[in-house]
Amino acid sequence: MNVQRLIWILWPSFIVGGVATGVFFTLFDPRELALFGGELGLSRLAVYSIGFFAFWLFAAASSALTCFFQRTSADINRGEGSSAGHSGDTDRDAPDPTHR
Amino acid sequence: MAEAAAAQSGQNGVKVNGAAAPPPGEADETEVALYEVRKKIYPRAVHGWFAALRWALVWLTQIIFYGLPWLVWNDRQAVLFDLAARKFYIFSLVFWPQDFIYLTLLLVIAALSLFLFTALAGRVWCGYACPQTVYTEIFLWVEQKIEGGRLERMRLDQAAAGPRKLALKTAKHAVWIAIALWTGFTFVGYFTPIRELVNAVGSFSTGPWETFWILFYGFATYGNAGWMREQVCKYMCPYARFQGVMFDRDTLIVTYDPGRGEPRGGRSRKADRRALGLGDCVNCDMCVQVCPTGIDIRNGLQYECIGCAACIDACDQVMDRMGYPKGLIRYSTENAIEKGFTADQMKRRVLRTRVFVYAGILLAVIGALFVALYVRVPLKVEVLADRGSLMREVEGGRLENVYRLRISNTQEVPHRYRIGASGIETLTVASENEVEVPPATTRVFPMRLRIDRGVVPKGSHRIEVEVRAREDAKIAARERAVFLVR
Repeated sequence: MNVQRLIWILWPSFIVGGVATGVFFTLFDPRELALFGGELGLSRLAVYSIGFFAFWLFAAASSALTCFFQRTSADINRGEGSSAGHSGDTDRDAPDPTHR
Repeated sequence: MAEAAAAQSGQNGVKVNGAAAPPPGEADETEVALYEVRKKIYPRAVHGWFAALRWALVWLTQIIFYGLPWLVWNDRQAVLFDLAARKFYIFSLVFWPQDFIYLTLLLVIAALSLFLFTALAGRVWCGYACPQTVYTEIFLWVEQKIEGGRLERMRLDQAAAGPRKLALKTAKHAVWIAIALWTGFTFVGYFTPIRELVNAVGSFSTGPWETFWILFYGFATYGNAGWMREQVCKYMCPYARFQGVMFDRDTLIVTYDPGRGEPRGGRSRKADRRALGLGDCVNCDMCVQVCPTGIDIRNGLQYECIGCAACIDACDQVMDRMGYPKGLIRYSTENAIEKGFTADQMKRRVLRTRVFVYAGILLAVIGALFVALYVRVPLKVEVLADRGSLMREVEGGRLENVYRLRISNTQEVPHRYRIGASGIETLTVASENEVEVPPATTRVFPMRLRIDRGVVPKGSHRIEVEVRAREDAKIAARERAVFLVR
């Protein structure tokens, strides 16, 4: 996992997390949310903040899966050494039937 | 997007091949930064008309940003997005979550403005007003004051560690962190009353989340303006990536005039360039040195260009020194450069249908926002049927339904409201029919409605509840409800 890939995952999810937090808490008041049928027992600021990180985390999970599925079948078949960072970068990752 | 940049510059007939040859001493200055093996950029300080304009906008935006939370209006903070109370105060207006339509309109206006300005003059937002540019400008100024000019900074970074380097770097980062923390504090001051916040900070008693967000935003400012700089524009900014689609060949952009400049080459100031067969570009590399994103504008339009016009200022000074006319690098359009339009011809083409359509839609939406704000009724009413009790019979053979009436007074003065109901003959309000709600407050009242038996058959019947302010008949709201008869 290189740093570039980490930022690819964390940065877009940060934006989406922020937007999702804004939309969600515009529509729902934290005071009127229930946790397993009981009260949350947290201040609104705490719920907003935790909510933001939860949205960020979920969006990051989605970005991470996108990155993960970017590996081509050739990458996976080649096994070790072809892990993160190179898929799709250059032509050498393209499947080449003549040498298989 | 690299393809788009290449395509854009391809239109100019110039090949993109990265930055020009680095000046001596800069060649090995690479570092593995967050996004790429990055050559650290040491922008040279630039003076001139556009630099002055940028500084004016730095002052304007930052006086507003740092100053606005301290402004008082109606005995409260003039601009406060009070998240804890779910109310946004903007001068005399108070917005509630139900008012998010206005926020949506505001976002539409912001997006349309971006369309308009991009179509008109490219990335003026990026070059002059974007916080990334503004804070980078401030942080660079600090860096120049402490570490010196471009060459001094490059030498300092190459020098071995020592007490002087340590002292300069410590001083720079201390000032950066101070600015960043003040910025983080101001940011949080928009969401929680800043006067209380400043006392809390003074006594180290800020709430955990306030502390966290001050540090978070401060850290983001420090990281973005101190370290990441142009990388934010090149790799993180979505607008930088799609601005290409808002451009066309009649958009004003920062452009180098190859017809006038080429063939470039060094020469003495007294030499006759015509005799030498040279263009106006003296190949001094100043335009590259002042560029905050480290590109060479002579390679044509590139997506990295944030339109800051630093190269225009730098080049104009060189042209002055050489005794050549200014404007070898200038605001121009692709069409104008290619077809050699005069300034008037170019301006006429810049004011084209696209610009008028964007401007028309923008004005219409701004108008709609003002009309919507003007006719906004500062009262919100909700009728909730009481789930606990259905219809019951009361004295006098009447039938009663019980509701909860939620009234939000969104004005900053108290109001007395008269409650009425209609829709069924003999329908009356049996509970209190006049209630008071304090300023900018929501209150819930029990409401009992009664009808005579036999007026309507069994079933549910539509009724309407009306709440009207006693002092001002224009402040009124009607809300539908259902009356149950068993």
